[in-house]
Amino acid sequence: MSRALRAAWWLAPAAFFLAFYWLGLRIWFHQDDFAWLNLSLHVHSWRDLAHALFVPRSFGTIRPLSERGFFLAFYALFGLNAVPFRIAVHLTQLANLVLLAWIVRRITHSRLAGFLAPLFWACSSVLAAALAWTSSYNQILCAFFVLLSLWLLIRYGETGRRSYWIAQWVSFLLGFGALEINVVYPVIAAAYTWFWARAHFRKTLWLFVPSGLYGLGHLLVAPKPETGVYAPRLDASMLQALWRYWEMALGPVRLTPVWPEFGPWAPVATAALTAGLVGFLIWQLGHRRWPFVFAFLWFLALLAPFLPFSGHVSDYYLAAPVSGLAVLGAWAVARGWEARGWRRLLALVLAAIYLGVSIPVARTTLRWHFERGRMARTLVYGLARARQLHPSKTILLTGVTTDLFWTAVFDKPYRLLGLTHVYLAPGAEENIEDHPELGDINEFILPAAVALEALEHKQAVVYDAAGDRLRNVTGPYYALARSRWSRSELPRRIDAGNPLFASFLGPEWYPIEAGYRWMPRQATLRLGGPGRTLRLAGFCPQEQVRSGPVHLRVRVDGHTFEPVALRRGNAPFEVALPLPDKLAQAGELRVVLEVDRTFARPEDGRPLGLVFGSIGVR
Amino acid sequence: MRRLSCACLAWLLALAATACRRSPETVPASATQEETQELASMIHVADPRASLQLVKGFHEVEQNAWRWTMARFAVTLRAPAGASQKGAVLVLKGAVPDPVIAKLKSVTLTANVEGVPLAAETFSKPGDCTYRRDVPPGAFPAEAVTVNFALDKALAPGEADHRELGIVVTSVGFEAK
Repeated sequence: MSRALRAAWWLAPAAFFLAFYWLGLRIWFHQDDFAWLNLSLHVHSWRDLAHALFVPRSFGTIRPLSERGFFLAFYALFGLNAVPFRIAVHLTQLANLVLLAWIVRRITHSRLAGFLAPLFWACSSVLAAALAWTSSYNQILCAFFVLLSLWLLIRYGETGRRSYWIAQWVSFLLGFGALEINVVYPVIAAAYTWFWARAHFRKTLWLFVPSGLYGLGHLLVAPKPETGVYAPRLDASMLQALWRYWEMALGPVRLTPVWPEFGPWAPVATAALTAGLVGFLIWQLGHRRWPFVFAFLWFLALLAPFLPFSGHVSDYYLAAPVSGLAVLGAWAVARGWEARGWRRLLALVLAAIYLGVSIPVARTTLRWHFERGRMARTLVYGLARARQLHPSKTILLTGVTTDLFWTAVFDKPYRLLGLTHVYLAPGAEENIEDHPELGDINEFILPAAVALEALEHKQAVVYDAAGDRLRNVTGPYYALARSRWSRSELPRRIDAGNPLFASFLGPEWYPIEAGYRWMPRQATLRLGGPGRTLRLAGFCPQEQVRSGPVHLRVRVDGHTFEPVALRRGNAPFEVALPLPDKLAQAGELRVVLEVDRTFARPEDGRPLGLVFGSIGVR
Repeated sequence: MRRLSCACLAWLLALAATACRRSPETVPASATQEETQELASMIHVADPRASLQLVKGFHEVEQNAWRWTMARFAVTLRAPAGASQKGAVLVLKGAVPDPVIAKLKSVTLTANVEGVPLAAETFSKPGDCTYRRDVPPGAFPAEAVTVNFALDKALAPGEADHRELGIVVTSVGFEAK
């Protein structure tokens, strides 16, 4: 191979990747990205940082490197400039492609397979799904650690140098900080040594120890959802999930939503690609070429941890596993090409089918994420501008679609710009599809009576989010609101930190501080009904729990609930109290909150109880 | 191993090169549109300014011209001048698409303005349709009134389209008398 050809062999897949994913560099934050970015709002000390990095959240995940650390560090450096985040994601994937090319060439001894594997992986529509969304960096970074560990293992097998072995361990252990599926790396390592470096096979078995310990630790520490889509199910549904993942990984079924006319051909194309790979398997097994199994095992091993979550089959989960299929496909095409005749033709046809269905889907996926990011950016910067123009007013949003709400409102990204008192205008919820498994839309709506009062006193502005930028529609909205709602209604939710709700709070409450209010020993408020549950959300200061739990006693219209013990200091709390039937039907509730002790801070000397944010009935 | 170290270093340098943190978030003045707007008596449902007045039951704009409705849909409109004395005419323009008639044979549209019912109209042929009804003065108690429409039938969500589909609407509003 000449120098120029060698350079082209390395550079062509990288150049193709960059050209193909150029739009991906310009995708702005959306959806879960904001939840991770918002973590920075809770970090004020080293203790907070440790908590933010390592305490299991979001369905039991602990991913300090790929999610929390990544977002915290990059946000600290670059703020809401998404480009550096995107560059990091793409650079990592570029490294993945280089590592994959090298590994495939080593294990197949085929330059063509080594050239095609990264190309097939880069074109995969499921990889595009992970690359296009910064929150799924965990998939990309985990693939990096798995590939890097395998590369180091191969180099160790070839050179016998201990530094490669140690570096492999370091890379493997770091992989646990990226994604849980890193636990399966020992399977890949053991399979590799079994097929190509048998002398080191027993040594690789030690890698199972950290995986076992991690699995055990995860079982003990991380909360495990028992219901919902993230509840693991060890039953036949795992096989259904495997088949769905297989279909998605091959690509044809994903083309149908993009190009409906392709619908009837999708099963045919899936069958053809499946038959091609199975046929290749039989051909290789007939020649006792066992290493072929390695690529298949690679795919299955990386996919296996996702199979119990059969209620949440997601395309981006395939980003790392599909690298195994890319190896398989590249190898099959390379062998077919070398075999000449009909096998070469078949290999080319199947490769063309795969690329033909994958490339348009990958491009559409990128464009879809780009549009979501653009939508989110328009909203966030529109709100920032609205706050500049109306610094003391509550901002109400109307014209929010289902997509916009769950993409850019639900995680409150505007808090990153210091914006508070942003709500959905009453009535806006009628155009938003409910997803109770994700959250409650009602918490975002300013109660109609409060909105009407605020508009009447020019304490609120209304913006329509339906267009390319936020549009001030305060005048027409007010006219519309007056015809639809009455000011005499009591709100069913109160935000203690918003001055618009002040008239519903008793005189005991202290003035608003940074969007919240302190209560003294006792505080009162009025709420509208009906509703079955009284919900209280607030913050318990560290001082209150120094000498044991503080007890919150709640009385509603003479009915006294069992005191609630708050044990964790310096932490938010949420309390849900089921209302008795008589109160659940009531149109107005008088609530009394009382704590069993108060404390005072030297700077102001006031007796302080708890901090409250939202109080309401549902 | 040296190559690996070099590669890692290059990767970190590439990351560092992106360390071009913007100055505190700059907010473009064009991020909002501040012109004032009034509630309209007649709206074209594809006009972004009309979205505020589409209370419920409308799907996304299609071909910059129209929207599919659900079986029940509603709009809020400004009462035309003098409507509380003379009444007004409610006009809805749109179309009953072929698939609706093919599947449902006919659809009947009814409306009420602030609770005042208006006569129904049945459409049994595909194509453009207009629903036009006189509205009595008593239906205009305030500057803004809500008109609720209801179809007796609609296409249920299915494989081809996951939405409930009623008819297609291009414009709806009041004409002064």
